[in-house]
Amino acid sequence: MIHVSSLSKIYRVHRRPPGVWAAVRSLVHRNYENVHALAEVSFHIEPGERVGFLGPNGAGKTTALKILSGLLYPTSGKVTVGGFVPHERRVEFLRTITLVMGQKQQLMWDLPPSETFAMNRALFDLPKREADAVQNELVELLQVGPLLGKPSRQLSLGERMKCELVAALLHRPKVLFLDEPTIGLDVSMQAQLRDFIRRHNEATGATILLTSHYMADVAALCPRVVVIDKGHLIYDGDLKTLARRIRPEKRITLHFASVPAPGSLDRLGNCVARSDSQATLSVPAAQVTDAVRAALEQLPIADISVEDPPLEEIMREFLGGERPDSGGKTPT
Amino acid sequence: MNQIFRRYARLFSVQLRTSFTLAVQYRFDFFIEGLLALLWLGITLVPLMVVFARRATVAGWSYPEALVVVGLFSVLKAVLDGAITPSLNHVVDGIRKGTLDFILLKPADAQFLVSTARFDPWRILDLFGSIAIVLYALRRLHHVPSVLEALSGCALFSVAILLIYSLWILVVSLSFRVVKVDNLSYLFMSIFDAGRWPIHVFKGALRVLFTVVFPLALMTTYPAQALLGHLSLAHALLAGAGGLLFAGCARWIWQRSLHAYTSASS
Amino acid sequence: MRRMWASRALSGVRRLLRAYPSLLRVGLADMLAYRAEFLVWILSMNMPLVMMALWTAVAADGPMGRFGQREFVAYYLGMLIVRILTGSWLVWELTMEIRRGTLAIRLLRPIHPLWAFSAMQLAAVPMRALVISPLVVVLYWVAGARLPMHDPERLAIVFASIAGAWLLLFLVMAIVGMLAAYIESALSVFDLWLGAQAILSGFLVPLELMPAWVARLARVLPFRYILGFPVETLIGLESKTVALRELGIQWLFVATALAMTLLLWRKALRRFAAFGG
Repeated sequence: MIHVSSLSKIYRVHRRPPGVWAAVRSLVHRNYENVHALAEVSFHIEPGERVGFLGPNGAGKTTALKILSGLLYPTSGKVTVGGFVPHERRVEFLRTITLVMGQKQQLMWDLPPSETFAMNRALFDLPKREADAVQNELVELLQVGPLLGKPSRQLSLGERMKCELVAALLHRPKVLFLDEPTIGLDVSMQAQLRDFIRRHNEATGATILLTSHYMADVAALCPRVVVIDKGHLIYDGDLKTLARRIRPEKRITLHFASVPAPGSLDRLGNCVARSDSQATLSVPAAQVTDAVRAALEQLPIADISVEDPPLEEIMREFLGGERPDSGGKTPT
Repeated sequence: MNQIFRRYARLFSVQLRTSFTLAVQYRFDFFIEGLLALLWLGITLVPLMVVFARRATVAGWSYPEALVVVGLFSVLKAVLDGAITPSLNHVVDGIRKGTLDFILLKPADAQFLVSTARFDPWRILDLFGSIAIVLYALRRLHHVPSVLEALSGCALFSVAILLIYSLWILVVSLSFRVVKVDNLSYLFMSIFDAGRWPIHVFKGALRVLFTVVFPLALMTTYPAQALLGHLSLAHALLAGAGGLLFAGCARWIWQRSLHAYTSASS
Repeated sequence: MRRMWASRALSGVRRLLRAYPSLLRVGLADMLAYRAEFLVWILSMNMPLVMMALWTAVAADGPMGRFGQREFVAYYLGMLIVRILTGSWLVWELTMEIRRGTLAIRLLRPIHPLWAFSAMQLAAVPMRALVISPLVVVLYWVAGARLPMHDPERLAIVFASIAGAWLLLFLVMAIVGMLAAYIESALSVFDLWLGAQAILSGFLVPLELMPAWVARLARVLPFRYILGFPVETLIGLESKTVALRELGIQWLFVATALAMTLLLWRKALRRFAAFGG
């Protein structure tokens, strides 16, 4: 569905040092710098896949999405989406895709969402009966019925996001580009949106590309992740595999019935957090069973749980350190 | 071809409906602005009245003839303020906020969408006021334009609207690169204001400036002259051709600017 | 009790004197950062030049009253100079801050917000002076004999009238801008003011050339003292005694405007603080 090979995007930026004299000088002579937003990125996405784009701010994720949706021209490389070249912005291409940005909205600010829906219906030339059916279905799934008559500016962030999704999906696009759709939303709203996106993908087979800072989004929705850092694609594959590669250990959280003897914990493994009532150990995956057995034997345990290390930590380490193919990163 | 026309007609009516809904919602503000526009129309007539109270002609123009120019200028201004400026301000705002992206994602011509985004229907007030001035001036002259004069006057006036629209498109194309354009629109309007007077008031370099570079002469004086029968046919055709050429250039520059557009960072 | 009030007032003045220079510096830095926009803004104040073209065309066949072609050129050059020097954009800034609610932040500071606003506008004056200096040269070349170059008293009156005009406009903008706390369309009110000012200040037509009743009305209204009066003293259209008397009237208007501003602001700020941004 989506084929990207050797995609690069280079911006020429004029950096001006502060000060009046530099400002005057910049009128005659400008220093240009090449900023590589994307450098030789290649990947392929099959129809119906759900893929997450991860990476720190400024890594190039949003640039990639904008190139895929035709808003930006690539500097070099080949990009096709659904057989179309995005930046040609053909009508059929634009009908196939949709872009939802968490930090911007297409809903008209002073008017109710229903007006934006009507506008989109006209823009995409949707026959009335079909469009009404799709709209009603989406409105019901997202439960935004009572909101349709209120001006967008009066809606809360979560309500607006849901209406954004309705507006974006009216024309039944086959490819969804979602740029940080859950940003700023409360936990329950995030879960609602995630549910909706997953079900939409399962029901319609639409291909979904999602960028997000919330690992929970990516973990819940995307079996496959593409990690981009400073414009380079540094990982493309399964999230769990990546996690296990970076941090091949598990977290064992022990809840104590009574305060344990000092020093008794350190024998079991690396202790990453500790208080009087609980402690968290970081233990290599292979040794988990032994560690659990030892803990149960030696310590006054009230409750015990075994988890993967938090994804945020894994990503932080992954992105802060070396790439896995350059020798692997050993956990400290 | 017919289908494309029907599609864009449907789009246009949807856009109009949006503007009307907004105009009804903010009717108080818009109404006040409409009244103020009428007031300003009256105010700008004051110098004209003072001048012509003591003089019969200025730079070869009599009072009613100058009134035709002022009237046509005000009609143009009403069209500008009602149909062109609101849309393009909306776009510049969208460029700044980054919401222009959504317009580019829609399967319709971006320039069309951008140009029909907003209308100010209350400007119909000063549109009628201005037309009244033109009609009054023509009556005072006891001059009823012949068919040819009326046609060439209207044609030139349409070219004027096209010209001012193209100028605005150029300003918006500029704002793709230089995002802070608010003050540029002020500059634009202040230069445009000079079109209130017959071009012959300006001498030398200024007249050249206002005929070729910022074609004010074309916008108000020429249509007035056509209506009054003072404009030769050759002159009129030349002006018309020049205007169309200008519009074509503006469209080309718009396309190029869109191509080079980099949207605001997320 | 009175001593406590006096010492509090004194410390307030001291705080202001310490803070004001840095406020000015901030305003200047802001001005430099936005110099392109500022320049464009100044360039768009070219209406006097258009009027100059119109009126010189009119005077081509002979003078109107006291105004021949040279006089019109001098008048409108002077008008342009005064307009640029005394202009400010307080009303737009104020209405924007009130609408966005950021005015509340200024209320947290220990000095009256108007001081900060005035510093911002004052910091622009050097830039404005720079822009008008070529105009002053041209004015001297056109009407050198009329300018009060060698008369220190007249020069003092000119400077005082320009300062008074700046203050008067600033205070009027402060009043109208603050109306945004009460009504939606404060800017429309300002538009009305500008409309009246266009006619009654000598901006579109020198007041002498207007019907007598208009000129008489203009003398008792504040509009003239923002534009027409400084221009007339600059190009020597009036005798010194008349100019002095009108200077007094101008500063009377300034004092009245100041009183109205302070009163309105005190009420409005209280309301603003009560209802939030």
